[in-house]
Formats: sequence, structure tokens, C-alpha cells
Amino acid sequence: MKVRRRLTLEEEDKDINVSPLIDVVFILLIFFIVSATFVTLPGIDVSRPQVQKAESLKKNSILFALSEKNQIFHAGKPVQLAEISPLIALANKENNKPVVIQVDKWADATLLAKVISESKKVASIVSLATLKER
Amino acid sequence: MRRNRTNFQAERTEINVSPLIDMVFILLIFFIVATSFIDEIGISSNYKDSSSIIKNENKPLFFTLPGSGEVLVDGYSVGLKGVASKVRNFSGLVPPSIVIQVSAGAKAGLATQVMDQALQAGAKAVKMAVISK
Repeated sequence: MKVRRRLTLEEEDKDINVSPLIDVVFILLIFFIVSATFVTLPGIDVSRPQVQKAESLKKNSILFALSEKNQIFHAGKPVQLAEISPLIALANKENNKPVVIQVDKWADATLLAKVISESKKVASIVSLATLKER
Repeated sequence: MRRNRTNFQAERTEINVSPLIDMVFILLIFFIVATSFIDEIGISSNYKDSSSIIKNENKPLFFTLPGSGEVLVDGYSVGLKGVASKVRNFSGLVPPSIVIQVSAGAKAGLATQVMDQALQAGAKAVKMAVISK
């Protein structure tokens, strides 16, 4: 009597051991927290110019976009030319983040030159996002 | 017998981990979604500032981009393909600095391509300037 009772209890108690699952999930969680950079995308799609010499840019950067209709976008909103340097100064308080400009190939080059010179006032590295020619 | 049973249940009291797992999963999914792995490629011209061009003993090479979509050097059209050879032949040993002068109507795509060609030909630095008329 006693023996049988003991056996059924043990069988009922056979749960899946969740501790390894929790371990793995915690490791994934910590990886994603650490790698999360929270880049604010400009929010528009531009057709990038194709170039031959392109290198991969820093991931953690401040993004601006220049649309086909010569509008400057940052974090999903259109901004004025004069707002660029305060925005960059606000975004990098102490660490010197690079600035990446996503420029549409049909945008006006004079505006691009102005945007670059505005960004250069506060940022040390200003890059243009491009496509690699195949 | 009955006492035995209660004793057994008291021993088996454990912390319920399912809410913990739920919470951790929600956090995990949030961070997976929020992490944007942007992977941009591009070019960067390394020019210090606008004043450094005058102090430089070597004169920069000027490219002019008018609104018509041509690439001019000293008033002659060289085209996009001629940019690299102009840069190579400009000042022999020292890699030259490049200034791209753009006027209204010139396209940013062409300016970027000129910049790319110049950097590929070994230009030290590329700067863009606006011609105001």
C-alpha cells in the first residue's frame, strides 16, 4: 500500500524542469539589452546613390535623411536646416557620435552641402549613406 | 497516514516561476523588436573644417557641378569617368584635397559619385561648397 502510493505521487510530480529555459532566456535578454542602441530612424525611404568605394558605417549614429523634394528628416519629422546642429548636440551629450546622412540621389546638391557643413559644426564624422555598385 | 500527507505537501511548497518567465519573455520580445540593427554602408569625407583649406600649402582641386549635370574642371567638362584620372594627375606625389563646388540644380547623387570617384583615386579629403550666384 505504502509503496504504490509513493510511486503515483512521484509520477504526478514529473514537471518539466524550467531552470535551463530561464537561464537561456535571461542570457538572450541581457544580450538584447546590451546591444540595443535605440537608433532613431529618419522615417523616410530614399534612393541612395550608387558608388564603388563604400565602407560600412558605425551602427550607433545620428541619422538624417534628405528627401527627393529637398526636405530634411530626422526621427520621422521634417526639420529645418538651422535645427540640425542643436539636434546633433542634443543627441550626443558626451560621446561623439558620427552623423550619417541618407541622401536621395535626386535631392539638390547645394542643400546636401549645407547639411554637411551644418553637421560638421558639431560632429566630427559626417558620412553619406550609399549603395554599393555591383 | 493523514498526517503523513500534510507533511509531504508542506515540503513541496515552491515558488511559482511561471509569472517570472512570462515577464522575462515580454521583456525579451520588447528588446528584440526595439533593437534596430541598421547596417548602412557609405562614404565619409574627412575634412577638418572650412578654414583648413586656406592654410594648406597645396592648392585643392576644384570640381564644379553646374545645374546641367556636367562635371567641370577649369571650365572643361570631364564627366564622371574623368574625375579619377584628374585627381591622379593633379599633383603627383601628394594626395590632393578636393573641393566640389555645387550650384543650385545639381543633383546630390552626382555629387556623391564625384566624391566617391575622387576618394577612390586617392584624394586625401573632399569638401563640398556652394556657389552662390
